Amino acid sequence: MTAFVNRTLMIALLVVCLTWLVVPATMAVLWSLVDPSEPWTADKLFPPAMSFYRWQDMWENSALKEALINSYLLAPLAAVLTLALAAPTAFALGRYAFRGRETIKLLCLLPLVVPAFVTSIFFSSILFQLGFTASRFAAILFAHCVLFLPYAIRILSVSFEQVRDDHVMAARDLGATPFNRFTAAYLPALRSGIFAALLIVFIQSIEEFSIAFIIGSPDFITIPTLLFGSLGQDFVRPNAAVLALILVVPNVLLMLLLERFLRSANPALSSGKG
Amino acid sequence: MMSRPSGPVILLLLLPGFGLIMLFIGAVVGMAVAQSFGLFNLGGESRFGTEFWQDISGKRVFERSVRYSLYIGFWSAIFSVSLAYPLAIWLRKPFVGSGVIGAILKAPLLVPGLVAAFLFVNVIAYHGVLNQLMQAIGFWDGPKRLQNDSSAIGVLILQTWKNLPFALLLLTGAVQGISDDVLDAARDAGAGSWARFRKVIAPLSVSALQASIVIIFIGAVADYSFQVIAGPTNKLSLSQLMVFYRERGDWNAAAVVGVTLMVVSFLGTIGLATAAQLVFKGRFR
Repeated sequence: MTAFVNRTLMIALLVVCLTWLVVPATMAVLWSLVDPSEPWTADKLFPPAMSFYRWQDMWENSALKEALINSYLLAPLAAVLTLALAAPTAFALGRYAFRGRETIKLLCLLPLVVPAFVTSIFFSSILFQLGFTASRFAAILFAHCVLFLPYAIRILSVSFEQVRDDHVMAARDLGATPFNRFTAAYLPALRSGIFAALLIVFIQSIEEFSIAFIIGSPDFITIPTLLFGSLGQDFVRPNAAVLALILVVPNVLLMLLLERFLRSANPALSSGKG
Repeated sequence: MMSRPSGPVILLLLLPGFGLIMLFIGAVVGMAVAQSFGLFNLGGESRFGTEFWQDISGKRVFERSVRYSLYIGFWSAIFSVSLAYPLAIWLRKPFVGSGVIGAILKAPLLVPGLVAAFLFVNVIAYHGVLNQLMQAIGFWDGPKRLQNDSSAIGVLILQTWKNLPFALLLLTGAVQGISDDVLDAARDAGAGSWARFRKVIAPLSVSALQASIVIIFIGAVADYSFQVIAGPTNKLSLSQLMVFYRERGDWNAAAVVGVTLMVVSFLGTIGLATAAQLVFKGRFR
């Protein structure tokens, strides 16, 4: 009876979920392939003429190239800088027992609790007050680093907790230098966490909209701000479809990679001891 | 874990990460509060006063924005959690295909909000697939305008689509953490499905439920992009109103709205978390 109920529920849910995911995604792909020679009207199930014209046109005649360069320059830099800023705090939280540790862990989540647009608008106000308006890129990079620090600190402090004291002590007893101690005892336990932290900040930075929109617009364009612009007054559905796919496809692949890293963040495996 | 830290060393280690967070968020929130009271003025002389609060709080658009944002935040949290809870209980014990179901349900987590909004707008467009389907099966005589509906059903659907996987992730973890022994003991004591839910599962998963509700509420109450793309055109969310004032160069008004948004998030969070606690731990016990 339970098996029958499960099967029936599963089939029903699969149908709903496929409609929920597959139909919208397919629509986006089809819209991005609509050839302008023959518009896709309501009476036709599929576009009458399909080509990569929209992709080529967006590449050649829009700010897409600039947005791609900005986004893909911002994200890796934000990832590396955030990791560097997070590591000392994560080390303290993961390796030392001290008073107020749990409170600090909670307070580290503050950037995720304050509404994104409040952060964006009043960060821009601070920039104006300080007269720091020269580099929008640097301002967005800095804000991304702080906003995504909670993710990196959280992931890395768990990794630091997984470093085994007996490995560290054994390395020390064998006369290993601090660098060798790091590579032999710390790095194996930290590797998954480092990759996971880099990836999550990279993904968050690529997707981030409010800071890039408030601080960056109108001169500094990223993929999300370009997509937002294309959904507004100048809404051209096939162009927006191209941008949406450019934003979502690499992110899905990276997120799947991230899940692999997080799944392999196993204390026994990553410390090299079963 | 090492247990003999020295105070200054800990402090130095905390500075670049935790210190930067406190400095940045402290400065941002401090600037919002100060500007709402007329300090750090960008467009004139700075002078402490409550006139901006009096001015904005008397405006009808402000009151409507507060009510609208609360409406979106509350119902997004309720819908997401109400759908995720039964699914989490259903997926508690693995069965053939449960992995696939879990993966499909969690897939929207991978889709950025703006893309989700575009996909949704595409489906409900005037000549979109939903309108065509409803006409094809004879439910509707002609196409209907579904985008930017006045009750913000579109925004609520989008919020639920995006947040349900997140609630499912937290709730699945919580209900999977309840040991079979506890549930078997309840069953042996004669508890039926409903009694097992209200006396065992609900109290033991209330923390995850509160976390889901609070996080979804905070995100939805401060929504901007779903509202601009799919929301009603005659209503403004608090974020939208704040951006509107900021674009007009009225920083003080934007600050009043920003501080209100933070207060509304905070009070709403406490209200919802308390309500969840009362409902799941108090009345049901």
